Amino acid sequence: MQQWVVVSIIIGAYLALTLTIGLLAGRKSSDSVTGYVAADRSFGLLVMYFVTGASVFSAFAFLGGPGWAYSRGAAAFYILAYGALGMAPFYWVGPRAAALGRKFGYVTQAQLVVGRFPSRTLSALIAGLSLIAFVPYITLQIRGAGIVIEAVTEGNVPFWLGSLVAYGIVILYVLASGAMAVGWTNTFQGVFMVIIAWSLGLYLPYRLYGGVTPMFEQIMETRPEMLVPPGLTATGEPWSWGAYSTFIIVSAVGLMMWPHLFMKAFTAKDDDTMRRTVILFPTFQLFLIPVFLIGFSGILFTGGPSSADFILPYMILETGLPAVVVGLFCAGALSASMSTGDALLHASASVVVEDGITQFVKLDDRQRRLLMRILVLLTGATAYYFAQDAESSLVLLLATAYGVISQLAPPVISAMYWKRATTSGVLAGLLAGTATSVFFYFNPDLRPFDMHEGVLGLIVHVPVLISVSIMTPIQNEKHLAGFFS
Amino acid sequence: MSLRTARILTSIYLALALFFVTWPGLKPFARIEPLVLGLPFSMAWIAGWIAGSVFVLYGLDRVERRHRDGEGS
Repeated sequence: MQQWVVVSIIIGAYLALTLTIGLLAGRKSSDSVTGYVAADRSFGLLVMYFVTGASVFSAFAFLGGPGWAYSRGAAAFYILAYGALGMAPFYWVGPRAAALGRKFGYVTQAQLVVGRFPSRTLSALIAGLSLIAFVPYITLQIRGAGIVIEAVTEGNVPFWLGSLVAYGIVILYVLASGAMAVGWTNTFQGVFMVIIAWSLGLYLPYRLYGGVTPMFEQIMETRPEMLVPPGLTATGEPWSWGAYSTFIIVSAVGLMMWPHLFMKAFTAKDDDTMRRTVILFPTFQLFLIPVFLIGFSGILFTGGPSSADFILPYMILETGLPAVVVGLFCAGALSASMSTGDALLHASASVVVEDGITQFVKLDDRQRRLLMRILVLLTGATAYYFAQDAESSLVLLLATAYGVISQLAPPVISAMYWKRATTSGVLAGLLAGTATSVFFYFNPDLRPFDMHEGVLGLIVHVPVLISVSIMTPIQNEKHLAGFFS
Repeated sequence: MSLRTARILTSIYLALALFFVTWPGLKPFARIEPLVLGLPFSMAWIAGWIAGSVFVLYGLDRVERRHRDGEGS
């Protein structure tokens, strides 16, 4: 049997298993909006751990991580550095958000913000910003899945078909089962990803160089600049400390503000589960070490793929691994893509319906669930459409995504921790921060110290939020008591 | 250890971690040698701060939990 046929069979089996788990999971969930969006607030530690880990580590980490290590060297360490920092504050923020969620029935973070700062404009603004950040992110996941399948089947399963099948399955189980399916499939996919990453990350250096130490010794002799932070830019120039450091800051601030991650606070069974997930999260983060090793192993390897993002499939195919291993790797990469993609699709539909549409149109529980399902389909189809165009300007949008998403942090934090904050202050801050971030995105030469536009946005955002809040009257005592009792 | 102390210590650890994985804190440690467990020094340095946070957060959790139990909540 030809290699690509064996690989396709393994991928087929993997996809069938994912679909089965996804569909079975839904049978446990109740037929309500809370059931669909927040899985009846029932996730235990194991599921929470992998849901969080697997939805943070996407095709970006699994394909982009090795790609960065391969082409930009130590610049990739920024991805390693931010995760634990971004997650740690959630030890306190998470349970607090969860308590407010139970008290007031919130299922999205915009509801939390708007509950404290009543404003339909604010709600729609958050929903809009989330969607702007979501679509390119989903597109990237779909591209990741398509690329992997096309590469390892040697083009016999074309990009359009591979991405269609993989995401057809994701949409099927998200439609059928909502948050429950996302939880259980991510547990399965998370375990899979970790095993594949560690075994390949240790195997490739061993196979090509005789071990991790000899590999780095050889890179040190020929390309020492690759191993010293802040590493290189995409074109091979030295990267700036300003950009390296602010990438870490904006990613740490933005990480938990992604609605699909923040909403996990509302799906946790109890606060202890959530706290333990935060404590254990850095262990998931260390999974980037083997991912980087895969990329580093390609640096001295002759030849090289057309684009750095292809380094992982390239190394797998070029080192003559058995077909079964190639198939398993492919399933691991698909896990990374699909486990983030499903969470993103699910969250974007929930956010648009709960925070956008229902603010202006009255809908009952059943109608909302139906609308969410339609939106899952629409968002998926839109992202699939964009994914087919390799040169689309979505990459441009994605780079702004973290800048946009990190602007949600000041409103969320002030909603929970700052009594003096007012609706006008939050709205003004959000508008100013977003505008600044967008401005510097389009005028990169004007950025001071080469800083990330999201951080520049925050530098404007926070003072505006504070000063406008202080200039406007404090919210009434009774309203505040609900949040600070 | 009191709850307040544990929270302050955890926050200090996180602030230090941020300082030592970005400019300027990372600069003196942005080097390759010595290799640690086969990894370039800066990579192991960053990984070390992450691994350390597991222990710090675990410690914090013990204090927080004792405090919550004490309150009977």
